[in-house]
Amino acid sequence: MLFNSLDFALFLPVVFALYWLLHRHLKLQNLLIVLASYFFYGWWDYRFLALIVFSTVVDFVVGHFLFKTKHPRPRKWLLATSIAVNLGLLGFFKYYNFFLENFLAAFSFMGQEVSANSLHIILPVGISFYTFQTLSYTIDIYRKKIQPAQSIIKFAAFVSFFPQLVAGPIERASKLLPQFSKPRTFNYLQATDGLRQILWGLFKKIVVADNCAEYVNIIFSNPENFNSSALLLGAIFFAFQIYGDFSGYSDIAIGTARLFGFNLMKNFAFPYFSRDVAEFWRRWHISLSTWFRDYVYIPLGGSKGSQWKVVRNVFIIFLVSGFWHGANWTFIVWGGLNALYFVPLLLFKTNRKNLETVASKRIFPSLKELTVILFTFLLITISWVFFRAENLSHAWVYLQGLVDFSIFQKPNLPKYDLLIWLILFLIIIEWLGRKQEHALEKLLFQQSKYVRWAFYSFIIFLMGMYMQTTETPFIYFQF
Amino acid sequence: MKKLLTNILSFSIFAIVLYVVLVIVWGEATPQYYHKNLQYPAGNEGNGFMYHRMQEVDSVANVDILFLGSSHTYRGFDTRLFRNAGYTTFNLGSSNQTPIQTLALLQRHLDRLHPKLVIYEVFPETFEIDGVESSLDILANDRADFFAFNMALKNKHIKPLNAFIYSLYEEITGRKAKTDIAYTKGEDTYIKGGYAEKQYKTYAVPTFPPRTWQLHHQQVRNFEKSLHLLHEKGYEVWLVQAPLTTALYQSIENNDEIDNYFSNQGTYTNFNQLVELSDSLHFYDQEHLNQEGVILFNKKVIALLNQ
Repeated sequence: MLFNSLDFALFLPVVFALYWLLHRHLKLQNLLIVLASYFFYGWWDYRFLALIVFSTVVDFVVGHFLFKTKHPRPRKWLLATSIAVNLGLLGFFKYYNFFLENFLAAFSFMGQEVSANSLHIILPVGISFYTFQTLSYTIDIYRKKIQPAQSIIKFAAFVSFFPQLVAGPIERASKLLPQFSKPRTFNYLQATDGLRQILWGLFKKIVVADNCAEYVNIIFSNPENFNSSALLLGAIFFAFQIYGDFSGYSDIAIGTARLFGFNLMKNFAFPYFSRDVAEFWRRWHISLSTWFRDYVYIPLGGSKGSQWKVVRNVFIIFLVSGFWHGANWTFIVWGGLNALYFVPLLLFKTNRKNLETVASKRIFPSLKELTVILFTFLLITISWVFFRAENLSHAWVYLQGLVDFSIFQKPNLPKYDLLIWLILFLIIIEWLGRKQEHALEKLLFQQSKYVRWAFYSFIIFLMGMYMQTTETPFIYFQF
Repeated sequence: MKKLLTNILSFSIFAIVLYVVLVIVWGEATPQYYHKNLQYPAGNEGNGFMYHRMQEVDSVANVDILFLGSSHTYRGFDTRLFRNAGYTTFNLGSSNQTPIQTLALLQRHLDRLHPKLVIYEVFPETFEIDGVESSLDILANDRADFFAFNMALKNKHIKPLNAFIYSLYEEITGRKAKTDIAYTKGEDTYIKGGYAEKQYKTYAVPTFPPRTWQLHHQQVRNFEKSLHLLHEKGYEVWLVQAPLTTALYQSIENNDEIDNYFSNQGTYTNFNQLVELSDSLHFYDQEHLNQEGVILFNKKVIALLNQ
């Protein structure tokens, strides 16, 4: 079920009403969450529910034995079982064909012809997200940071919680699991703020991302038909498409969870206002970046040890992060390019220079701040070309097209000014709300309720006027 | 919780009112290409002279035959040929008219037109689509009343709802009545009674990949509702499938299944098997007859009527 669908618009109020009717029965509320989440997920393809159930049961059982077992050796085996099951499922569904094709290509390159058939495998929606979430559970029990869930229903609710099941935020058991044990009381302020966050998320997805996608699809499918300035605009539109799409999804997920009395972690913190790439990665897909930091980077040694080791660790997490996104060399190069951007900051120890919100005490950024923000955005936009391209040669053709004197000409694109206005609207609202949890959190709170309502109505109007009228899935569903 | 529900209700009313105002302001104040989901093909911008047809139908009553259906109807049943054969007719076809629009048009015009026979042209492709294009055509050129609103809602699509708001605004401000609408547009000429004549043109026939027609359940439901309405009021109905090029018709793999369905709904004739037509000489595109083709087709219809 898509958040931006009529089905979800009917599903959410029904589940919301049932949930709060059961407010005195915590166990029933948790059971309702599990059933609603399975229904939500099964709406795409009920067959893949078996995978979630399997993963849930395995990690629940492993978690309990891990907690009870004191000897290091069996504990290691239990952890290895959980990792093998979760990564095995992920590896099979996501990477089987990729590895097979690359092995065949490697053998062929060495003059050995080997035949093997690739399989027609459908990637289950959200598998990369919920496997990482359950992995964090068993790893944290292994590290003795948390205790296992006492009830399978609570644990199933943690794994399958529908707002964040298919595209995150990837929650940690230490933060989300205890919330299933506490009685939830309805909080008016939390619920209304959740609704505001859902509204803004829908705007980012429906208005910004989906309209950017129209141009992006045309430009990326035939880059040779466009001049340099149009290609640059195409890359910028993709930067806003992926931001609107994914951060929009996160906003809807977090806002929906708040309606049910849950607090999910922040996943995006206005990343395009970053002043360097390190700051960008502290603000973009935070739940994944911190997952890799806690479960890959730090166990590898993190930023301790020799410079060579630190650089190696940075490359490992960026490459793995790229590969997590998809079984394609484009994602690996995208990860590698970001590592290249990141390493100089680390070596010159400037990677933690910009921890505060930009221009936190001013309305406008200084000229210097604006310059570094634009430069960082440009670097990130160039890396997005690899992320969006079908393959490496496609990305290369696109990047070559960018280096041309026609960069100084008017883009040869039809009527794109409306989209620029919509993106500017997004930027202004996000800039005004950059110190908050989400852009609308405190916007216009000094004004009367009716001024705020008029503004929210205007956002709804923009959605009605500029939404796509065909189904548009979220980009991150494919990961 | 009570406070939340009260506020959601108040806000919904507030937002709906403001939405209506903004659609009108946007429609008036911004350039056409800013109106992505406010498409309003009124007058000369409409398809197949819908404005003239809707203006004329209000002054017509008690006809012998009422034609309903897609562009195959308003481009396929020449009201002059039927008049010459002694029948008074009105052609209420519209571009891509699906059963959703047919039902709305019947609810609005049937009692006044009071036909002795309804010829309902059933093009299976119009049972496959959402009907948005046809709704916009009707909303922009006909009255904005309850039936129009109901039709816009049935589409479950934002464009017809926006078009309804704008249509209502034009009606209230008296801007719907237009004086400068052409009777000839490109190769098409509007003929009294709702027919649109195309200048004679031939057609180079391509090949079509095989496919099947899949009737959408919502359209089937509305089609059966229309038939129920007609039967309930005692009208006689003749379901017809107008001719397509043989190349297109033969590329459809489930024609028998479609014929079976329509035969079970009442008197039904598939003219694809009854009139001898040449794809290149009697059609101007894959599915529309040219004037020569219309003459042959209508001759056959009239002959069957006379029987």
